[in-house]
Amino acid sequence: MVIVLIVLFAATLVYFFLSERVSNFIWLLSVQGVILFGIAFNNLLHIQPLGLILILLETLIVKAIVIPWFLNQLRHKNELKRVHESKVPVFYSLIIISAILIGSFLLSYTIDNEIIQLRFFTVALATVIGGMYFIVIHKNIFSHLVGFLIIENGTFLLSLAVGGEMPFLVSLAVLLDVLIAVLVIGVFLNKVRDSFDTILVSKLNKLKD
Amino acid sequence: MVLNPVVIFLVSLVFPGVVARTKAKIVGRKGAPVVQPFFDNIRLFQKGNVYSQTTSWIFQIAPVIYFSTIFMAMLFIPLGKQPALLSFEGDFVVFAYLLAFGKFMMIAAAMDTGSGFEGMGANREAFYSLLVEPAFFIVIASMALLTNHTSFYNLFNNLHLESELSYLIAVLSVYIFLWIAMIENSRLPVDDPKTHLELTMVHEVMVLDYSGFDLALIQLANGIKFAIYGALIFNFVLPMQDYFVAQLVIFFVVQLLFAISVGALESFKARNKMAKNPQWILSLSALAILGFLSVLIITGKIILMD
Amino acid sequence: MIFIFLGIALTLSILIFLFPHRIVFAAGSFFYVLLHVTLTVYSYNKLGACDSVYFRFDSLAVLLNALLSILLIPTLFHANLYFRRYVKDVKKEAQFVSAMIILASAISSVYYAENIVVMWVSIEITTLAVSFLIYHNRYETPLEAAWKYLFLSSVGIAIAFLGILILATQSASSEGANLSVSYLASVASQMDPFFLKTAFVLILTGYSVKLNVFPLFAATIDAKTVAPSPVNAIISTALVNAGFVAVFRVYSIVNQTAMNSWAQNVLLITGLISISLATIQLFRIKRFKRMFAFSSMEHVALILIALSVGKPGYYAALLHLVFHTLVKAGLFFQFGQVRAFFHSGWIKDSGGYFNLNGTGSLAFLLGILSILAIPPSGLFISEFLIFKALFSGGYLVVGIFVLVLLTVIIYVIVSKTMHLLFAEIPATYKPGAAIVNRFEPVSQFLLFIAVIYLGFNPPEILTGLIHQTIQFLN
Repeated sequence: MVIVLIVLFAATLVYFFLSERVSNFIWLLSVQGVILFGIAFNNLLHIQPLGLILILLETLIVKAIVIPWFLNQLRHKNELKRVHESKVPVFYSLIIISAILIGSFLLSYTIDNEIIQLRFFTVALATVIGGMYFIVIHKNIFSHLVGFLIIENGTFLLSLAVGGEMPFLVSLAVLLDVLIAVLVIGVFLNKVRDSFDTILVSKLNKLKD
Repeated sequence: MVLNPVVIFLVSLVFPGVVARTKAKIVGRKGAPVVQPFFDNIRLFQKGNVYSQTTSWIFQIAPVIYFSTIFMAMLFIPLGKQPALLSFEGDFVVFAYLLAFGKFMMIAAAMDTGSGFEGMGANREAFYSLLVEPAFFIVIASMALLTNHTSFYNLFNNLHLESELSYLIAVLSVYIFLWIAMIENSRLPVDDPKTHLELTMVHEVMVLDYSGFDLALIQLANGIKFAIYGALIFNFVLPMQDYFVAQLVIFFVVQLLFAISVGALESFKARNKMAKNPQWILSLSALAILGFLSVLIITGKIILMD
Repeated sequence: MIFIFLGIALTLSILIFLFPHRIVFAAGSFFYVLLHVTLTVYSYNKLGACDSVYFRFDSLAVLLNALLSILLIPTLFHANLYFRRYVKDVKKEAQFVSAMIILASAISSVYYAENIVVMWVSIEITTLAVSFLIYHNRYETPLEAAWKYLFLSSVGIAIAFLGILILATQSASSEGANLSVSYLASVASQMDPFFLKTAFVLILTGYSVKLNVFPLFAATIDAKTVAPSPVNAIISTALVNAGFVAVFRVYSIVNQTAMNSWAQNVLLITGLISISLATIQLFRIKRFKRMFAFSSMEHVALILIALSVGKPGYYAALLHLVFHTLVKAGLFFQFGQVRAFFHSGWIKDSGGYFNLNGTGSLAFLLGILSILAIPPSGLFISEFLIFKALFSGGYLVVGIFVLVLLTVIIYVIVSKTMHLLFAEIPATYKPGAAIVNRFEPVSQFLLFIAVIYLGFNPPEILTGLIHQTIQFLN
């Protein structure tokens, strides 16, 4: 079951690069949250209830509901364009994301390691690289935030490979930290939009010497 | 065995009619009877051809070759336990390139007319076929890897759904095949057969200069193409039945559902922007790659430990 | 103890935030400095002991925390001056002090953290605090810098987290993942080399935001360009040290394995690229703060190069870190006064500072000489030790290359400084506009002279702590 969800997770990654609509980005992030919930639920049933509740909270409530809702608020408040075009044509992005997926599979294939859970590692790696690529090809800071969240989801996927064994307090701290970081970034996005009247990153160039 | 092409051909006669009827029903019109396209074709068959003076023999033989390649391709399709008329290892490659050859002839004919519109349509058609090909082959290759067979018949008959991942692959393949069928038949969201503007046409603009007998052949061939893809999808989803009649019933039901879903999709979906088509088609290949990687995991070609 | 410290700090910060009154935050910051010093003294007495499972009174932590304690006093003093000069809003000053307390506490938490996830969380908190500190005055450029810093740091830290997770998967055993540095170091030799290398590179990449070196240095440089001088004095020193601690801990894990020489090469390459980039960029700078930021980059790069030499370089690296902290903080404090004179951070708007403010320019000159490692300065001693280690370790080409770059850096920085001190007074200068506090350069002189003294005559405490830190390294 877990492997099916992981493949689905990888499929959402492909769709991130296919779509250019802001609403699709938000929707896909929510879907990723639900898939992560499924993986976590399947993978971590054996750990103590407190940790389980925390991880379910993190995926289902925070990743699937709170953050997408927050992004939607941001989007409406700042009257963002419905479509965010990327610098690189979608066509090439799709080729590149396929190459990233294949590359990380091949990398995992060459690794012979019994301790790490390779299937998590593979897709997590592809997601993190994909997220960075997402940030690189997009021109506005809202999409950059989306890219950051993709990276976060990738690291979370990998953390599920060990997450069950992390101390409760530590996981709680990580959860709060990430949530606060996203909220603060969102607040700053609002401020940038208010002061610069745009969210295009190319307009953020007052610092150049 | 001999029956396969016959039923597929029968389905192909009413397939466009069912699609048109569904669309009519959805928008609240009464719609023409489902056999209307068939009657149209008969009427066209009785008419003569008109050829432009600028065209050459290529233009004249293209429809016949188009029809015959598709007809040949039809012979490669098995139906459940009924093997195909022509079946050998690697037949899906021949199948794909038969279709491609027919398409090539149509493209050549469109260029032959010297019309700017037709050249543009041919250009697009060629580009989309080029992009759709990897998706088709990757899906079939995943199947081949999963079953260790390379002919359509063995492929489908040895397709056992065991693990959860193989269900995922089956769903993914059907999904991809559905869209490949839509693209190959020049339907939404890549091309809109209803369009009136030559600039936005893909397939329709290529056959603008055909009339009479040739046009009927082309339309007949298009129907068969749809039925072929419907049959392929049927093979994917069919739980292996030993009863011939049950199989036949399921076959017709699947084809009917396929036709209705095509009609429904066309009613509710808008056509893509022309510039977005390539990337949309490419995403099918990307998904197919995911399926392929999953197959590698299932078959243990790539071992990802727990 | 650390939890109590963090708890009190948080309470103080919230109190100051809620009751923005001059007396409240004066008393609050005084109390906080006292608390911080207490923590330093307490941890020095308990050296080596564990504090719950998450923290440890490590010698490196004590050393750097002591530096932070020392810097906090002038920082709060200069912050007050800054607000009296520019903002004159008690509410904003309260927010500033409150964020500063959070930042300092988070940095201390990074120093003392034994669990690498706790360290990671603390580093993330420093990012948020720094963003607020940069942006507190609501102009466009600070906003841009704050956004870039916040975003790039968050991405970098997420990458570092990936590295931590990989370490966690490698150290996971039946009873759960133990992510304390000492445990990881003890099991490091059993880890898979590929994953250990990946983790090291990811963590180095991620924390390079804090460390102000290649590859993710750009946002940090921008942040330092716009941050107020007192903030800069902390983020160019204590926060850089926090990044150093984070990288050093991971390095001490890799150090126990056969990948040590590989990791040293990575550090060397990072250092060399950073110092080269810093040199190239120094030619393009038009603002003093940017010059200082690139100078920090150069010094951290030197420290990484020293680390990469191995045993002979460790002592020099840590000594250099300590001296750089003191000198750079002093320079930023002094620059606060320069900026108040010319009402601009741009080099073109400055000039004739020697005539305008003799004492201040003496302090500035002394600071520049110190940071350039010109002989009386302690940095000369540490740089000399670094080059000694480089040449004796057989890194002849590297040593010469770095020396050439350092010469170029000295040329650029001296020429900009000469412009500030001796060029004509710019037309934009308005006489009498600056509020000059007579005691302002005192802290700077103290810091610079301390560095000179420590260079010639390092006390037992300093050398003892450094030696204790490096004795576990191979």
